[in-house]
Amino acid sequence: MSAVWFAHRILIALVLAWIVATIVFMALHMVPGDPAELLLSTGGTSPDPATVAELREKLGLNQPILVQYGSFLGGLLRGDLGTSLVDDYPVLSEIALRLPRTLELIFAGTLLAIAIGVPAGVYAALHRGGRFDRIASGVTALLLAIPVFVVGTLLVLLFAQTLRLMPAGGFTPLTQDPVLHLKLLTLPAIAIGKGLAAVLFRMTRASMLDALANDYVRTARAKGLAPGRVLFVHVLRNALNPVVTVLGLQMGTLLGGTVLVEYVFNWPGLSTPLLRAVEARDYPMVVGIVLTISVLFLLINLIVELIHAVLDPRVSAP
Amino acid sequence: MTISRRTVLGAGLAAPLLASPLLSRPAAAQRANGILRFGLSAFPPNLQPWVSTGASAGTVKMLTHRSLVTYDSKGELRGELAESWAIDGDGAWIFKLRQGCLFHNGEPVTAEDVKWSIEQIAGEKSTAYMRSQFQGIERVEIPDPRSIRIVIKEPQATLPTWFANYNTFIIWRNSTANEPIGAGPFRLAGQERGSSLSLVAFDKFYKPGFPKLKGIKFIVYADENLRNAALQSGDVDMIEYVPWQSMAAVEADQRLKLDTVEGPFMDVLFNGTKPPFNDARVRRAVAHAIKREDIVKVAFFGRGKPLEGLPIVEGTPWYDKELAHGWNYDPARAKALLSEAGYANGFQTTLLATAQFGMHKDTAEVVQQHLAAIGIQCELQLPDWSTRVSRGSRGQYDMAIHGVSADNNDPDGLTVVLDTSLSPTHGRSFKVDAPRTVAALAKGRGEFDQAKRVEIYKVMQRAALEEVPLVGLAWREQGYGMDKGVKGFTNLPGALTTSSGGMLEETFFG
Repeated sequence: MSAVWFAHRILIALVLAWIVATIVFMALHMVPGDPAELLLSTGGTSPDPATVAELREKLGLNQPILVQYGSFLGGLLRGDLGTSLVDDYPVLSEIALRLPRTLELIFAGTLLAIAIGVPAGVYAALHRGGRFDRIASGVTALLLAIPVFVVGTLLVLLFAQTLRLMPAGGFTPLTQDPVLHLKLLTLPAIAIGKGLAAVLFRMTRASMLDALANDYVRTARAKGLAPGRVLFVHVLRNALNPVVTVLGLQMGTLLGGTVLVEYVFNWPGLSTPLLRAVEARDYPMVVGIVLTISVLFLLINLIVELIHAVLDPRVSAP
Repeated sequence: MTISRRTVLGAGLAAPLLASPLLSRPAAAQRANGILRFGLSAFPPNLQPWVSTGASAGTVKMLTHRSLVTYDSKGELRGELAESWAIDGDGAWIFKLRQGCLFHNGEPVTAEDVKWSIEQIAGEKSTAYMRSQFQGIERVEIPDPRSIRIVIKEPQATLPTWFANYNTFIIWRNSTANEPIGAGPFRLAGQERGSSLSLVAFDKFYKPGFPKLKGIKFIVYADENLRNAALQSGDVDMIEYVPWQSMAAVEADQRLKLDTVEGPFMDVLFNGTKPPFNDARVRRAVAHAIKREDIVKVAFFGRGKPLEGLPIVEGTPWYDKELAHGWNYDPARAKALLSEAGYANGFQTTLLATAQFGMHKDTAEVVQQHLAAIGIQCELQLPDWSTRVSRGSRGQYDMAIHGVSADNNDPDGLTVVLDTSLSPTHGRSFKVDAPRTVAALAKGRGEFDQAKRVEIYKVMQRAALEEVPLVGLAWREQGYGMDKGVKGFTNLPGALTTSSGGMLEETFFG
C-alpha cells in the first residue's frame, strides 16, 4: 500500500464530501419553505408577515444564494458549520452532542448482533438440518422481513405498555443514571441489531459450512485434534473472514437504520435533529448533519478499502 | 410435569436479571420528591419569551415566566403580576402591580420592567408574536412605581387578554437576549438538549404555597404513540396531546384519567384572487356540502364535534345556537348555490393539505368526497408541512385545509383567522373579500360595553356566514392524560386549552 494510493483515496473522499454538501445545500434552498415563517408558525399559528420579514433579515436569508453558499464554504474551511436558524445553537456542538449517542446505539446493536448471530450461526452449521438450524433459519428470514419500525413498535407495546418491564423510550446520560441509561438503550439496540444478527447468522452458518467441508478440517480431525481445537483454531478462524467484511459493510446500513429507531424510541441521536431540521428548513443544521453522516460513510469505506489492501496487496498495486 | 435441568438452569440465569435494578421503575421515587414527569410533544425550538414557537414551548414558558394577567381554571382572566386593571376616562388601560413579586435573580418586578418588555415586543426589529397588536400602543406611562398606563392609538376592549397570551411575558429589563429572566413559579434548572428539561420550584414566588410541585421534568416524546405508551407504562405521570385513537384506552385504564376539551378546530381556506372561489356563493356551496360528522369519525375517531358555523365556543355569551349551524349540511342547497354562481355542472379544482399530519390528510379526503357529490372535483395536493405553509402564505392554492386555535375565547381572538384584510399567512384565506366581517371585528374590538359587544359579534357571525372567509369543519378534542394521583390540573376551556400548561403551578400529587 503506497502513500500515493492512500492520498488518492483521501482526496476522492474529500471531493465526494464537498459534492454531497453542495448538493444538499442547493437542493434545500430550492424546495419550498421559509425557515423564518416556519419557525414562527410552530403549532399552526399565523405569524405577522412583517415579523417574518424581520426574522428573515436577522437570519441572513435575504442574501443571494451564492453569497450564502460562499459564506457556508468559508465556514467549512475554517471548521465552522454555522449555527442553527431555529435557536442559534452551533451546528458543530449539536453534532458533537448527538453523534456519540448514535454511535453508541450502533455499537450496542452491533454487539448484540455479534453475540447472538455468530454463536447461533456456528451452532446451526455444526448441527446442520437439525431442529435449531431449521427454526433459526426461519426466524432470521422473519427478522429480515419485518421492518425495523414494526419491530420497534412491537417491542414498546410488549415490554413497556403491556408488561411494564422497560421504559417506552427516551434518553438519560450514562453519567447521570447508568442503570436507566442501559434500560433505555436495550430496546433500541435490539431493534437496530435484529437485522444484523440475522445477516451475521446466515453468513456465519454458510461460511462455517464451507470451512467444515475443507480438506484441512478432515486432516485436523484425522490427526486426532480435540473437536474444540478443530472448531476454534481451524474452522472458525477461516470462516469468520467474510463475516468480518460483511460486518464492516453493514455498519453503513446501520447508520441509515438509526433514523427510524431513534424516532420510534425517542433516542436523541443524530437522526432526530436531522428530521426536525429538514421540517424546519434549518439549512445549516441539515447540511452539517448530512455532511457528518457522509464523512462517516466515506470513512467506513476507506477503512474497508484499507483492510482489503492490507489483506490483499494487489488491491493497492499501482 | 417434569422439570428439566435446562429449565432449572434457565430460571437460575433469568432470576437475577428479573430482580435487577434494570427492571425497576423510578416512578415512586420521583413522586415522593414532588417531581412531576410530563411527556411533552416537542422539544421547544427555543424559549424566547415573546417569540411564538408552539404550545409545547408555551407550556414551559408559562411556568418560568409571568405576565400581568393569566387565565384561571374557568378561563377567566385573573391577575398575576398585576393585581388589578381598569380603563381610565381617556380610554387608556391602567395596570396596578402586585407587591412582592420577584424575578428569579431576586430583583423586584417594577413598572420599568413592564414598560421595557412592552417596548421590546413592539419594537421595530421585534420578532414577537404580539408585535402587530403591541404596535397599536401609542405610549406607556408610569404614573407611580406600581402603575403602568397604556395609551392606545384606537380603543381596545381586549387589551388585557394580550397579556394572557403565552408569548407576552414580563422580563427583567437588564436581561441579555439569550438569558431572559422571568418571574414564574419555576426556574429552568437544566436541559438535555432535544430530550428533556428540568424545572425546579422558585422559592421566592409571590404566591404563598405555590407552586405545589417541587419540580417538573419535561421529557420529550415527539411520536404520539410513544408518548401514550410512556403514560400507560408509568414512565411519565402526565402527557399532552393524547392521540385521539388512544383516548378510549386512557379512559379505560384504572390508573389513568383523561381531561379533554374541544378547542382547536379544522377549517377550509380559499384563494379569493381568482374564480371560482372569489364568489361567496361558491364558498357557501362548499360550506353546505360537507357532512362534518364524517370528519369527526374519520379524522378524530369520534373525538370532536361538527362545526357548522364560526368557531365560537358553546357556553360563552357570544354563542348563538342558530348561527352556530348556519352552514348546516344541505347538499341540495349547495348545488343550488353552485347553479346560481354559474357552475351548475360543477368544476375541477385543487385542495391543498399536508400528508405530514394525519388529521389534515384525513380531513382533506372526507372534504374531497363530499365536494365530489355536488360536482366539485378536487385534486388533493399533500406536500410536507413546510411546503404547505409556504404555498399557503403565497396564495399558491385554490382551497386548503387548516387546523388551528383562536388566540382566546373572545370573538376578537378569531381575528387571526377571519380578518382577510391582514397580510396573507398560511392560516387564513388568501385575499378573500369579507368587508362586513372585518368591519364587525373592528367594531367589537373598540366597544367596551359587554351587551353591545355580544350584539356586534352576532352581526359579525351573520356577515361571515354570507361572506365565508373560511368554512368551519370540526372541533377537535385536545386531551391531557394523567395518572389519577395527579390533582389540581385543569384543561382550560375552548381555545385556551393550549394555555393549560400554566395550570401546572396548581398541580400536585394527591
